[in-house]
Formats: sequence, C-alpha cells, structure tokens
Amino acid sequence: MTEEASQMILRDPQLFYWILFPITIVMIVTGVLRHYATVLMQSDPQRQDLKAIREQRNLLRGVNVRSNHDQIPYQSFNARKTSLVAEFKRGAYLKDPDSVGKPAANPMTDPAGMDQMMNMMKGNMAMIIPQTLIMGWINAFFSGFVIMKLPFPLTIRFKSMLQSGVATRDLDVRWVSSLSWYFLNLFGLRSVFNFILGNDNSADQMAAQMQQMNPAGGAGMFGPGQDPNKMFLAEAENLEVVGGQHDWILHGVETRVLDLY
Amino acid sequence: MLDERKLAIDPVVPENVAHNTRIVTDIRSLTSSVCGIAAGILGLESYAGFVFYLVGSVFVSMLMLFLVADGKPGKYFQSGIDLWTTEVFGTSSVASFVLMWTLVYNLVRA
Repeated sequence: MTEEASQMILRDPQLFYWILFPITIVMIVTGVLRHYATVLMQSDPQRQDLKAIREQRNLLRGVNVRSNHDQIPYQSFNARKTSLVAEFKRGAYLKDPDSVGKPAANPMTDPAGMDQMMNMMKGNMAMIIPQTLIMGWINAFFSGFVIMKLPFPLTIRFKSMLQSGVATRDLDVRWVSSLSWYFLNLFGLRSVFNFILGNDNSADQMAAQMQQMNPAGGAGMFGPGQDPNKMFLAEAENLEVVGGQHDWILHGVETRVLDLY
Repeated sequence: MLDERKLAIDPVVPENVAHNTRIVTDIRSLTSSVCGIAAGILGLESYAGFVFYLVGSVFVSMLMLFLVADGKPGKYFQSGIDLWTTEVFGTSSVASFVLMWTLVYNLVRA
C-alpha cells in the first residue's frame, strides 16, 4: 500500500498570488461587467396601446375571479360570472376583432414577440462570450502545470479533464491544473454575485440555464403564437364549470373566531 | 375538498414563500463559505470535510430556528422539515463551501 501514500509536490507560494487570486478576481469582475452590460443592453418594454392592455387585463380578471371565487358572496360571484362569460363569448375585449379566424401571429413579424426573442438572444450572447474568452485566456497562459491539490479525491476519469496540460499517468487525481480552478470558481462564485449584485442578477449562469429549460414560463400567456379569442373562450368555459360549487369562506367564521379564544 | 377549503382560509402567498426561501438561501451560502474556510484551516481531508459541512449546516439550521424563526417554523414554512433541508445540498452553498475549502486548504498547506 505504499503507492497509496500521498504524493507531495512542493510548490512556490508565489504560485498562489500570481494564479489563484488573479483568476478569481478576473471572474468576479467579468461577472459584474456582464451583469451591467446585460442590464444596459435590454431594450425598454414597449408601450402597448389601450386595446392590447385591455385584452390582457380582462383575461387576467377572468382568471382571478375563477381562482378566488370563495372570497366573495354567492350573488356577487354569480353576477360577475354571468357578465364576464357573456363578454368573453361576444369577444368584447379583443384587440383586433377582425382577426378572429386567422392563425396566431408569427413571432418573426409580430413586434412584441420579436422583442422578447431579441432579449433572450442578447442574454445568451452576453453569457457565452465572456466564458469562452476566459477559458481561452486560461488555456493560453496557465496551462501545462498543476497548481493545487483538491482536498477530496475523485475518480480516474476526471483526470483528463482536470489535469489538462500535464500528461502523466501516475499523478494523483487530486493534483489539478488551473482550468479546474476556473470551473470551481464558476460554480462557487454564484453566491458572491448574489451578495454583490442582489438577486436576479444576470451573472448567474445556472438560473439562466434553468430558465431556458422552462420555455413555457417565459413566454407567458400573451406571448406570440397565442390566439386571444380562443383563450377567452376557454376562460369562459372554465368560469362556467367553476360556478357549480361555491363555498363562501365566511360560512362558519363565527366558530373559527370563537375557537381562537 | 377539505384541503382546498383550508387553503382558502389560510392562503399560501407565493411571494412570502419566495422571500422566506431566499433568506434561508442567503444565510446558507454565506455560512457555508465560512465553513469552507474553517475546513481549510483545519486541514480536513475528503470525508471529514463533508461531514464538517453537514455538521455546520445543522448548527446553522438550529441557529436559524432560534434566532430568525423565533422557534416556530410552522409559521414560516410549509412543512416542518423545510428549514433544515432547503439548500443544504443545493448547488450554491455546496459550491461555495468547496471553493473556499480548496482555496484555504492550499494556502495553508503551501
């Protein structure tokens, strides 16, 4: 078992000052720059005209009445429900009553949709370019040597990734090159960015990746490609279904208040 | 049906839930960095280091329970376990722990 004894490599302490800290500082600074660049590059949300806003808000009103129907007494709920259902069926709030039968707006031509897509693409670009640049810089200047020892062991398969410049067979996987320090920083600096830049900062790569995996969340109800008339009719049906059971929340409130005391 | 009614009477407001989770996450990422520095100074190796991280997060959870949540986790979180397990293994706190641990381990051992 003597081969298992830990391999010691003596290193110049100046290694740390010239390699570890500069990589970390550069990554923090580029993260901050990237965040501000993203914030500045995003175009202002466009002012929508009255009819478009009215259409969106009324659909939301239908959804709200449906989900909070217990909070209001039965007669009020009924009155709201019948008027909303009649209006939705009539198409009273449509932005463009002529386009009832036509297919949904193409995201390429609809200006509101175009904006959303451009913003997403700008965000992606702002994320990818600094990462590529920094990786290239590290590979150019800091390759060919191992710089530090990981406190925990890893399997052999990681050797090729973490010891990128050094081609030895027997060196422990725990000795890694500076590229792995870059990866450690990539994941570990997210919390530092959370502290410096506040939440929802644009330097957070993981949150952006998770957003990309939920495409339904971003476009929302009013993204391009949805037909407003169909949504109104669907909402009218939902309202009619809900109206069957109504359990006013204030029934039995007297017992609940007395129970508190 | 009964659950829905209970939710209607005591609604779960998503903004408040998000705020609470964010506070827990912030506290955890900061304390796991400090935990990493401590692990590096002590010179802990593989398993000992991770055990130290778990012990540290349990300790931080207890502190959060008594100092921040006033001993009543039910008031702030949906289930009793949430205070102890949110973000313990989530990427941001484990990553900061490992980052600080590696950095200080190397600095101290030279």
